[in-house]
Parts: sequence; C-alpha cells; structure tokens
Amino acid sequence: MSLIASNLSFKPGNEWHLDNVCFEMSKGQIYTILGRTLAGKTTLLKTLAGLISPDEGTLTLDDRDFGSIPVWKREVAMVYQQFINYPHLSVYENVAFPLKQRRMQSDQIKARVMKALQQVGLDGFENRKIQALSGGQQQRVALARSLVKEASVILLDEPLVNLDYKLREQLREEFRNIFSSEASKDSILIYSSTDPVEAMQLGGQILVMDEGRILQQGTSKEVYENPNCTKVAQITNDPAMNLFEGRVDNGRIILSSEIDLELPQHCKGLATGSYIFGMRAAGITLNSTGFPFSVELSEISGSETFLHIRHEMIGVVGLLDSVQNFNTGEVVRVQFDTLQLYVFDQNEQLVSSPYRGLE
Amino acid sequence: MNFKHKYLFLLPGLLVLLAILIFPIGFTVRLSLSSWDSFYPALDFIGIENYVRLFTDDARFWEAFGRLSLLSVTTVFLQYVIGFGLALIVWKEIAFQRFFRVLFLIPMMTTPVIMTVIWRTFFHESLGPVNDILSHFNVAPLWLSSETLSKFTVMIVEVWQWTPFMFLLLLAGLLSLPKEPFLAASIDGAGPIRTFFYVTFPLMAPISIGAIIIRLIEASKIMDTVYVLTSGGPGTATETSSFYIFIKGLREFQFGYSAALSLTYLIIMIISFTIIAKLLVKLMVRGN
Repeated sequence: MSLIASNLSFKPGNEWHLDNVCFEMSKGQIYTILGRTLAGKTTLLKTLAGLISPDEGTLTLDDRDFGSIPVWKREVAMVYQQFINYPHLSVYENVAFPLKQRRMQSDQIKARVMKALQQVGLDGFENRKIQALSGGQQQRVALARSLVKEASVILLDEPLVNLDYKLREQLREEFRNIFSSEASKDSILIYSSTDPVEAMQLGGQILVMDEGRILQQGTSKEVYENPNCTKVAQITNDPAMNLFEGRVDNGRIILSSEIDLELPQHCKGLATGSYIFGMRAAGITLNSTGFPFSVELSEISGSETFLHIRHEMIGVVGLLDSVQNFNTGEVVRVQFDTLQLYVFDQNEQLVSSPYRGLE
Repeated sequence: MNFKHKYLFLLPGLLVLLAILIFPIGFTVRLSLSSWDSFYPALDFIGIENYVRLFTDDARFWEAFGRLSLLSVTTVFLQYVIGFGLALIVWKEIAFQRFFRVLFLIPMMTTPVIMTVIWRTFFHESLGPVNDILSHFNVAPLWLSSETLSKFTVMIVEVWQWTPFMFLLLLAGLLSLPKEPFLAASIDGAGPIRTFFYVTFPLMAPISIGAIIIRLIEASKIMDTVYVLTSGGPGTATETSSFYIFIKGLREFQFGYSAALSLTYLIIMIISFTIIAKLLVKLMVRGN
C-alpha cells in the first residue's frame, strides 16, 4: 500500500500553504513532517484527511484516487493538537464512535475498543466522562479512537504540543511503542511536529517542510547528517544550526580578520570563494586558547548551558555540558570543532558535510 | 462589623419579595377558601368547598386543561422542530445569511395581540384572503368556527408568533458549540445526517431543554391569542385553562372560586414541569 501525492498545491490567499508537494509513503512506516509554525504541516494533514481540497495536484492510495473521496468516507484517522473528543460521550463511547459509524456489530466494537484502550493504557477508564480525564488521558482517548478504526492512514498533528514536558516525554515513548506494534503495521502513520528532537526520536522517515514546500525527505539519520540546505539544517536542529558566512582561501577558512580555521579533511578540495558555514551548538565549546567572543545571553537548560555569543558579525550559540553562569558582555574564548563543520554554497545548498564529505 | 448585621442588608430585598410574591400568593390561598363573588364580596371562610367543587363538579376546567396540554405540547414541539431547522440553515455559511436571520425574527418583533387580529382577518371565513384563495379550488374551510379546525388555527398563530424565539435561542446555542467535535466526527466517518444526530443534537441538548421549558411555561399561559382569535369558541372548543380562569374571575366575578382554580392550576403546572424537565433530561442528555 502506498500513498502518493503529486504536485499538491493550495493557495487560499496570497500565500502558498502548499506549494507543489510531492511524496510517496508506504504502509507500516512512520513519516514525520517536521517544520516550523506556519510551514504548512497542518494544511498538508488536513488535505490528506479531506478537510481541505487542494487547488491542484492529486492524491492516490494504491492507485485509487484518494483525493475525490469525501472526508467521512476516507479511510483516515486523525489526532489533533487540541484534545479533540466528544465531550458528551464516555471514554468507551468516544472510542467506539468511528466503529458505530461503520455499523459494526456491538461485540466486535467492544473487542476492538477494549484492545485500543489497552494499547493506550486506558483500560478501566471505559465509563469515565471525558471532562473527568487529564489532558494526557484525553489525548490517549483521541489516539485510541484513531487506532480503533484501523485506518489506512493515521494522521497525528502535533499531538503532544499542548502537554506539559514530563507527560510529553512519557507519551512520546508510548507513541513510539504503539507505532512499532502490530496494530500499526497496516497503516501509514504521518506525524507532524515542530520539534526536531521528537522527530529524531520517533525514527522513520522525515519530511522537512517550509513555506508549503517539502525541502527534504529521508530517514531521520540521513536528514540529520546531511541536511540539503541551510533551512533544513536550521529546522532539524534545536537550537538551530549556527550559520555564518566566510571565505575559503589557501586551505583555510577565514571568518573574520581574527578568526581563521584550518580546512577539515571532509572539506579538502573546496574551491576558493565565499560560503555559508554551519555548525551545531555542540561543536562550539569554551577553550582558553580559542577566539574571543562576548556573551550576549546564557541560558541554563537542565544540566546544560546554551551560550549566545558574538564576535563582530558572527553570532552563534554554543552548548556547554555543565551549568555555568556568565555575565552579559563577558569575553569568553571559544573553539570551533571543524570536524563538525557543514559547508553550504551561496544558494544555501549543501556542499560538504562531516558525514559525506564533498557533494 | 457584627456578622448579624448581614440581615439588615438582606431586609430591603426580603421586603420587596414579600410584597410582590409571598403576599399575593398568601392572599390567593385565603381567597380560595372564601365564597367571594359579585353577590357576596367578603372574605368569609368556607373551607375547601371551592376545591371540592373543582374536583367533583367542573368538567369544563379539566377539558380546558386537556386542551391546553394538547395546544402547548404540539405548538412547542412544532416551534422546536421548525426553529431548529431554521437555526441550522443560518448557522452554516449561506448567501444572505444576515438577511435571513433578521427575516426569521420579524414575527417576534411584532405585537402579539395586533398580529392575532391580523391573523383573524386573514382566516375570516367569508372575507379573509385565505379562503379567497382556496375558493379557486372550491374549498372554504371553517378556520374559526369548526371545533377541530379552530384549534389548528390557534396552533398556526402560536407557532408563527413564537418560532423565532426558539430559533434565536437555538441559533445562539449552535454558535456557541465547540468546532472540534464536528471536525472529529467528519474524520470518524459520520456524514452530515449522522453528525447531526450523534453530535449536534446531543451537544444542543442542554440548550434545547432550556428553550423547550421556557416555551412550555409561556405556552401554558396562552390567553391573548385565544381571546382575540376565537374567544374560546366555537362553544368551548379552544378554551384553555387560563382563559377559563379569566372567565370565572373577571366575567362571572367568582373571585373565591377562580382563586381555587388558579392555585390548583399553579400546583399542577409546577408538578408537570418538574416531571417534564426530568423526562427531557433523561431523553435528551442521558439518552445519548
């Protein structure tokens, strides 16, 4: 079973919400659509669900025209950012709702509902009212409702975004287990997220979206290691990959009058000229023999510290694996790990990556 | 401040309540135990004689009560169905939506008594435009002088007059519904009709119950329409409880007896509405 989108476009006003979107997805796989807010992720999911009719393009599922099937007849299930359930129904009735629409027999409905509730850890909650559940439990009900349908396509639109941190972590782990279970083997799972960490943790394929376009599609490893352009590099990293302009000249990388770096092995062979260089926060560390940068901001996150520093026009974020305090304006010495350096051309396309070398 | 002083602040409100509610009810109870009428205008004490008369020797009151039940239940049911239908139409994005919203509200903006006079002219059996049109088909129904049809005519006027009120309440309810369950229902495979029965209608149940109860209370007081349109006739064919109490009290001046009628009517109404409200909750909310 495969879901194929060809040239999907949607422009309700002056801006493209979907711009020539093409992809092919297979059953038993999980696909994460990763992009910032307003990238077009929800629009794409709604288009797949049939809630939006694209201006152009086609959708086919197993060579059948999927796009012309009305929403209530489409074999899709969807979990939303908000905890969308039926407030007037109990947990059992909520999960049974899609099956009742198919007029299944009550014993079959019961068996499938109980199985779905067990999968999401809500067995014993059948008779509870939705309002009596916590946010995380409500989202589990929504997930059970999507699983019980055994739909061909399961869409999850940032389902964890409205949960607190702890619950998000817990549910993310549970989602991964559910998605890799037998129950999901016959479905195409499409998960949208703004969080690159979440996308990487879920594994599977990643589609990076921006301004309605799909910038790159590949396995999470491939997209992480070899982002094909600067936008993908930024979207797939948190904090976003540091980008700074510089020149390659005489086997060295010249970033400013004071900062020049030795060309790493994977960049040997780069022609002389201007480039955009990229480096993740983890590649920028403190070193007493490094280059002088002044501190603009230091953020403590758990057991780590994100250090926002600047040298002339070069503003970067470094990651320190300990909790440290800095004063704004304080000068620190910084080292660039050139083995982790990415190089993009002036068109912002990848030229060299630490994992694949020169393109 | 001494906590006991709170009663001082409650006193003005309690006095107003006493004056406008408790005193009239208390006086009516006392009046119902007297034989006060136009011949003997005094607050004597005759015990429960008026109540005995009502329960043993006044079939006309109970017939009027039965008629009232039929009229109010039927008209409120029709108002609910039509009002819900109209609210659903303008709830969706349709052309000239604002125009239709105002159009549907026009009957409520008119004066009920004057409109009933117009309706009476409309249904006049020899001069009215309805029979004028129907005469082309060789039909001339007796809208106001047939025992059966006169009830139907009262219903038409009541439904026309009060459907906009129902429409307004239900439209407000529809507009306040969360969008999410509808989104979920469409994805879950429910078409427009099933979405209505499984989502819209259950979500509207609390608002529907409120609207139905309000209208039932109003409809059970039906008086002006009957008074202007048929005067309870032909015979007593359209006479309702309130109209009968009005005849006993303000035409025949049997104040003591009409007070007993009013109190009995009030108690029956309180019990009826309590049962109806419980039934509606069971039917519309728990039934989901």
